[in-house]
Amino acid sequence: MTKSSSLRVLVGLGVAAFAAACTGDRTEPAARAPEPASGPVDSVKVATRPAGDVGEQVADAIVVDFKDGTTAEQIDEWEQKWGVDLELNSVEGVDDGIALAVGVDDVEGALEEIRQDPNVESAEPLVQYAIPENEASDEWAPIPTRGPAPGDSDGYQPNDPDWDKQWNMRQIHMPKAWEISKGKGAVVAVLDTGIAYEDNDDLRQVPDLKGQKFAKGYDFVNDDDHANDDHGHGTHVAGTIAQATNNKEGVAGVAFEATLMPVKVLDHFGRGTSADIADAIRWAADHGANVINMSLGGGGYSQVMADAVAYARKKGVTVICAAGNSGQGRVEYPAAYPGAVAVAAVGPEGVKAPYSSWGKELDIAAPGGDKSKGENRGVLQNTIDPQNPSQSVYRFYQGTSMATPHVAGVAALLIAAGAKTPDQVEKALFQGADQVGGKEWSDQYGHGLLNARKALKALKNPKEAEEPAASAASTDDEAVAEGGWTTYAATNWTPLFWAAGLLALTLLTLRGRARPGYLNVALKPTFLIPALLVTVGLFCLPWFFSGAHQSSAMDTFRLPIPDWLEKIIFGRGKTANPLVYSALLPGLLALFGIRGKGFRPVVGGMAIGFAGVLAYSALAGAPALAWLPFTFLAIPWLVINAGLCLLIARGMLKKEAA
Amino acid sequence: MKLTGTVAFRDIETGIWVLEGDDGKTYQLAGGDRKIKKDGGRIEAEGEVVKGAMTIGMVGPVFEVKTYRFV
Repeated sequence: MTKSSSLRVLVGLGVAAFAAACTGDRTEPAARAPEPASGPVDSVKVATRPAGDVGEQVADAIVVDFKDGTTAEQIDEWEQKWGVDLELNSVEGVDDGIALAVGVDDVEGALEEIRQDPNVESAEPLVQYAIPENEASDEWAPIPTRGPAPGDSDGYQPNDPDWDKQWNMRQIHMPKAWEISKGKGAVVAVLDTGIAYEDNDDLRQVPDLKGQKFAKGYDFVNDDDHANDDHGHGTHVAGTIAQATNNKEGVAGVAFEATLMPVKVLDHFGRGTSADIADAIRWAADHGANVINMSLGGGGYSQVMADAVAYARKKGVTVICAAGNSGQGRVEYPAAYPGAVAVAAVGPEGVKAPYSSWGKELDIAAPGGDKSKGENRGVLQNTIDPQNPSQSVYRFYQGTSMATPHVAGVAALLIAAGAKTPDQVEKALFQGADQVGGKEWSDQYGHGLLNARKALKALKNPKEAEEPAASAASTDDEAVAEGGWTTYAATNWTPLFWAAGLLALTLLTLRGRARPGYLNVALKPTFLIPALLVTVGLFCLPWFFSGAHQSSAMDTFRLPIPDWLEKIIFGRGKTANPLVYSALLPGLLALFGIRGKGFRPVVGGMAIGFAGVLAYSALAGAPALAWLPFTFLAIPWLVINAGLCLLIARGMLKKEAA
Repeated sequence: MKLTGTVAFRDIETGIWVLEGDDGKTYQLAGGDRKIKKDGGRIEAEGEVVKGAMTIGMVGPVFEVKTYRFV
């Protein structure tokens, strides 16, 4: 009696778990979506899908930004007057007052009328920023729409006329970050083609660098004190870091109160030698640079350069480098050297740009533009005309070179806000980054997307910054209200699903009496609980502690067991440890299982769980493994070890012939 | 070394010219003369890969063209 009722409960539990595993698998992308973007925007997306074009104006839709404090009732009233059907962009939208209307017959007419209302901050045609279909379906973990983020309309809004075109600054949440720091006092060395920072010979300072602070620089190409730009690349990069901002001219820069140090290492064709660059790194470190920006790369490993990077870091300089533009799984040098922060590039939606290199040395992703869908999806700065170096131009460029100075700029903000060492700067950058696809690190995005506001918060209060990734059960009101595109780490049920499938397969290999019943095995608590812990961790933890303070320990235990071990033993590293991601632990435990019969289901559960996790990580973009020289070795390693785990499980679950 | 491939302009960074080699690799073009800059042109070129060269392009090794002809 008791037995059968407890069995029923267990069957129920099991069915629920497997159902969750299935749905978890299917709804995973939706779980990643930050709440504010779903709802109305999605319906617009669906409605306009036949039109097909991405990042273009939606024919009959408008977006209206109301002044703060506007209520839903007021908006309802005005709808009638304007003859459009406005809907708040999200529930949280009440705070930032972003509303959408679709099915507007006369877009221009309606906008003209709406703009005249004193309660309206701005009104414009809706621009659709969707994940391009081909990219959404491929292996890059896409993050949802990161177009004009609601909430970034408040904070520090510079008066530069082309500020509206700087999607990149809003993507990394500069308006809110500028309220905390503008980079005052930090020195950023730009090792590049030079900077148009002074009038010298026929070269002129570009207008949007007027009034900025410059440290004494050096020209390593021509060996003189005038690091003037004769190419156009370095001035653009420097502009992203510290363009004159709020000066009613051109565009804004990330750390516009910081000091730029012009260091010319690349010639008028944009080319230089690793010897010059290694010299320049040491020179900059010796002359007071806090940050070194290197939007350059190529060549093979050079000990001289690796030493120079290590030297700079030892002197307290944060070194930020471009990952490369080959679009392949290889991070270029100098980004790949230990001690350098390697930066990948994303487009306006926050999806990795097709040209961006990736790999196990990657640290972070930042806006580098993706002009495949339009020129204005590049990064806009003031520079010199490559065809006439004495002429100032504003150009949209794309590349990991453009992504890198965003990170260098935020590093300068962090230093101005009190960060003392490269370790502190990097920790804040990585902790503050918006995780992509709930992953703490991936070889496509590193620790995630650069977020200036959250990086500054992480510096002040490291614990607070860890929270947003904590749990779906906690509502991070502030992040949502401020337009922080927090990606919640929802429990990922897929490894459990894999484990269930592998269990079924393993049992099929057993014949006759040796084969136990599938449900008999799967629903035995001594098997089920270890399997659950290994594959999904203590997923139920927030049920018991909802509302309580989310600690980082709790985050850890909500991960699959291999990830606990990884975190507890090895801390947060760039690469996963192959010993943890292997059959080692189940193998060791199996030794006990051979002795004690009662322990066998436990080991079996763990082994099946490990097999599920390993198989899942092999298929879902294998993590980079430490000590393995080639990324492609990770998949065979995981697959072989998953197989070993299954062998162990098979041995443990096999029924002794009576 | 001798390389054959397709010359291409890539709108990356400030704009760069590459040789998409028939060996499957992408080289950043250097040397030659301005007439080599023909998007889609097939060339056969004699030249060397420049060791230790670092660039703003970051798409592959720099190939310094000594002589070339369109094929």
